[in-house]
Amino acid sequence: MDLGFIITNAVVLACIYGTLAIGLSITWSSVGLINLAYGFIFALSGYGAWLGAQHISTNGVVVVACGVLTGALGGLLVCALAFIPIHDKPNFTVRGLIATLAISLIGGQALLAIFGPRAKNLPEIFGSWKISLAGVVLTADKVGNVVVSIAVVTAVLMWMRSSRRGLEIRAMMMNPHAAAIVGIGVRRTGFYVMAITGGLAGLAAVLLSQTYYISPFGGLAPMIKGVSIALCGGLGSVRGAVIAAVLLGLNEALTARLMGGQYVLITQFLLIILILLMRPRGIAGILDRAREA
Amino acid sequence: MDAAAIAAPGGAPAKHEILNVKGLSAGYGPMRVIHALDFIVYSGERVGLVGLNGHGKSTLFYAIAGLTGWQRGSIRLNGVEVGRTRSQGPGRFTHLVVRQGLALIPQGDEIFHGLTVGEHLDSGAFTPRAWRERKQRKERVLAIFPPLVKLMDTPVGRLSGGERRMVSIGRGLMAEASLFLVDEPSLGLAPKAGKSVMAALMSVELGSSAMVIAEQNVALLEGKVDRIIGMHVGKLKGEASAALAFQTRREL
Repeated sequence: MDLGFIITNAVVLACIYGTLAIGLSITWSSVGLINLAYGFIFALSGYGAWLGAQHISTNGVVVVACGVLTGALGGLLVCALAFIPIHDKPNFTVRGLIATLAISLIGGQALLAIFGPRAKNLPEIFGSWKISLAGVVLTADKVGNVVVSIAVVTAVLMWMRSSRRGLEIRAMMMNPHAAAIVGIGVRRTGFYVMAITGGLAGLAAVLLSQTYYISPFGGLAPMIKGVSIALCGGLGSVRGAVIAAVLLGLNEALTARLMGGQYVLITQFLLIILILLMRPRGIAGILDRAREA
Repeated sequence: MDAAAIAAPGGAPAKHEILNVKGLSAGYGPMRVIHALDFIVYSGERVGLVGLNGHGKSTLFYAIAGLTGWQRGSIRLNGVEVGRTRSQGPGRFTHLVVRQGLALIPQGDEIFHGLTVGEHLDSGAFTPRAWRERKQRKERVLAIFPPLVKLMDTPVGRLSGGERRMVSIGRGLMAEASLFLVDEPSLGLAPKAGKSVMAALMSVELGSSAMVIAEQNVALLEGKVDRIIGMHVGKLKGEASAALAFQTRREL
């Protein structure tokens, strides 16, 4: 019973954080940007979904779509502000880091100014049913979270495997210089990548809002977790991010259960340090060929 | 006729300028590698560009593709101006030059190590027309490089040096290009493999397109290209038609 609870919680968290981490990972390895504005996109799409629920419909599909679309728009905004002007200037990695951090701070304050400090909550998009499976109670939001995030991430990865735009993005992830030679427009691909990863952030925001409230700075903690999972999995590796998400999700659920919620970040980072000590490139790192090579 | 870019029907089409470079200077940061260079390539022509290491052969190719640190001067590709004065942003406009009909086959292995050979060839077919015709184009490339047939699903990271070079050149040939710039195709390959790569390049039907091959080993080019041009400290020096080149004797 208790074990089942821990495992279901771990899987739910792994799915949500994994979605974020995969988004960050793809951004880093294809456009070379560590997107610190990801938390802002996350919060923004939470508010987008909230507005959709207030004004359009409280139907789950509509709310999710609103969140994902807002996230994609946020990604485009970050791309236009922090990628296009500086991507071929010297020291892009550091400048991009600072630019996205600035967007994150300004954006958070803007959200605070517009929507006020009171946290918002989204309707229960998956309904409020529950099923009992072998003694473990599965609530609607848990099942919904897992199914939706796995389905969307799989769809994105399949699209990247099979379509031409996906081929462009993967080519750019592996060798940006050769991608330019082949004729792939770095800026256009940047917009695709940022829109897709922004959409993933939006999805994660809506899914996580089934558990937490939406607040102007509510994206920071998920972003930190996403970044650390992406680092832990090896920036640029989707498989590594998935494995790391499962590991860290399990850790978070176990810690919250056994020691208490306040220790989650401590054990989280201890685990990450431990993994990076043993595997400096993360679980399945391809950092050697990702950017600096 | 599909794939007119590479395999044109027989008969000599009217000769016209494919590439016209005027007053091109280019370099990286404070370093100036190419000095006010003029260079014309006509259609249906195979030009050899020879010169020592560090004399600007690769930089000339990169400048045509817009990949140098900075550049100025006029580059006309198929009559369209693609050169521009640029002080930064290498690669920002490369895709536009590629769309204009350039296929750059870079030095060494600029490959995507995780993509399979098949995906690699797809990635070379960048223009919409080439993408639609990619099946026929792939077959043609495979006819030039038969060893790739059974490697189509292998990640390129696992191939040998010669096979990678074949993939790299094949990727260039997939493009719907009127100008092929081939940078040191034999570099780093065993003499035998280098010769066969060169033979494959010579077997490509140019039709109305043109090919420039940069090479350090003149012996590999002699008698096989229409013109040989020397390159020395960032300038073109001396030119010999293939007939003249025939008369010199060299040991491999």
